[in-house]
Amino acid sequence: MSSSIGAEKRRMRARRRLREKRSLLIFLLPTLFFIIVFLAFPLLSSAYLSLTNIRANIFESHKFIGLRGYYHTIFKDSFFHTAMRNQSIYAVSYFVLTFTASLVLAILINELRKGTGALQVIFYLPMIIPLSIVGGIFLWIFSGTGNSFFNLVLGRLGLAQTPPVNVYGDPRYALFGLVIARSWKMTGFTLIIFLAGLQGISKEVREAAQIDGANFRQEMFRVVLPMLKPYLLIGVTWILINSMKEFDLPAVVTFGGPGTATLTLYYRAWTLAFEYWEMGRSAQVSFITAFVILAISWVFNRIFRPETAQRG
Amino acid sequence: MTRKNQSSRRTVVIYLIVIIAAVVFMFPLAWMLLTSLRPRADIYKAVPTIIPEAFNFDNYRYILTQEKFPRFFLNSVVITSSTVLIVLFSSLMGGYALGMRRFRGQNMLFFLVTLVLAVPYIMYLVPIFVMEMYLDLRNTWLGLILPYVALNLPWGLLIMRGAFSTIPLDLKDSATIDGCSEFRFVFAICTPILKPALAAATIITFVFVWEEFLFASSINVRNYTLPVYFKFLLVETQGQEWGKVGAVVVVTILPVLILFLIFRSFFIKGLSEGMLKG
Repeated sequence: MSSSIGAEKRRMRARRRLREKRSLLIFLLPTLFFIIVFLAFPLLSSAYLSLTNIRANIFESHKFIGLRGYYHTIFKDSFFHTAMRNQSIYAVSYFVLTFTASLVLAILINELRKGTGALQVIFYLPMIIPLSIVGGIFLWIFSGTGNSFFNLVLGRLGLAQTPPVNVYGDPRYALFGLVIARSWKMTGFTLIIFLAGLQGISKEVREAAQIDGANFRQEMFRVVLPMLKPYLLIGVTWILINSMKEFDLPAVVTFGGPGTATLTLYYRAWTLAFEYWEMGRSAQVSFITAFVILAISWVFNRIFRPETAQRG
Repeated sequence: MTRKNQSSRRTVVIYLIVIIAAVVFMFPLAWMLLTSLRPRADIYKAVPTIIPEAFNFDNYRYILTQEKFPRFFLNSVVITSSTVLIVLFSSLMGGYALGMRRFRGQNMLFFLVTLVLAVPYIMYLVPIFVMEMYLDLRNTWLGLILPYVALNLPWGLLIMRGAFSTIPLDLKDSATIDGCSEFRFVFAICTPILKPALAAATIITFVFVWEEFLFASSINVRNYTLPVYFKFLLVETQGQEWGKVGAVVVVTILPVLILFLIFRSFFIKGLSEGMLKG
């Protein structure tokens, strides 16, 4: 009697375990499907592509060339060199503009009591505007007709040029024009991060500094900014990584030009694949971009880690 | 006394700077909005006034009644909303498994999820493009929905896994004892508790898909979404129709803007989390 109850219990437990296993599989099915088919498999094929001389047709005969493709891209491809140079100028100027603007605004807003919510909404608003649309907005403001807003302002300041300045049509200015457009969209994001950090700094610490006779600048550089370091780290890393992924603006506004003035790494990888049908070479540029991004986040983590660790 | 005076003067100066900055910040969008409301002759005057001399809605009437814009708007709406729904469903399922169940390979799977988050999206593009070429999925809604779900799912999983791990296991045990199936537990009992997490996942996915350009411009080369349509509109109009471009800008932004103004705190928090992804 008792043994049959035990057997019954065991059978029930086994059945339950089987049912749980089956249900687990069902719960994981969508995740596994999307991750394996649309992420893991493409990633591995991309890695394989980058080691071949493959062109448009994947099933065409192609050779496995190992790292020779990378060698060629890094040392022989002058378009890649241009893209790399543009990307560096782009990253540095975008970083300077976005970081300064968002940090200064965050510090100022943090000093205020009323209306900070509304201000946050205003500065954050451009974040939700699609980047291609942002490109169109600035294309109009910076366009090369005498009555574009930018040229009207130049006229008011007595700096009018003939012919009028065409920011995105001039290789000297085009890249910086894109920097301004992207920076306008993205400043709100780092501003929110920095503001969150500033609000975490207790009033007492700052008051103590004031009582000790620190002026505003000393208070900022000696007390506030050091305490803000973890947030600055997130901001810096994000701004730099974000700037490496510049595709929408050159694709919509400048087509990488004029000439190659706004050729970015992403845009180079894209044109290799979708205009020249050089899938292998495109994959090489993508992997190099990914490597640069990885290196940036690694370096900044190393630089800042001791302090962040101390703060727990 | 002087100290107090000084600090109130400082506050005024700070307000002044911040408000000027806010005006400068709102300006590009406002300028586009004003342009879209101007009569055509007004736009191409040598020196237009800041506020239009007359408001008219011709540009809006034009873009809403022509054939292309409404069709591409519909594309964007269908692709975005389906992606959001599938991401929510899949990340509820997967988030439950990762957050409340224990199984072999769990950490491995989670590591894989966070790994693909860090990879720049352009790495997935070419293989997905080739795959869809052979499956004949290009220029269809599904052809963009599938990769978009995949790109947003890891982030959704991360959010939902975190949310599920805050639900006490006792709740699940008592539900099981009451004869509640796992599916009912996830979708009927947990879902209401997880509303904030679901909202964050919705917002991140919605904003991402609404603006996505890289995949959309490569895969759907005939059946555009709005950002891609916008690119070709700029090419087509050659700077001669800024009023119409402005109207397209305003109508394209409107859905996200409405969502943003209703759920702004969710947005600022949720998007900030989401923007850290690839």
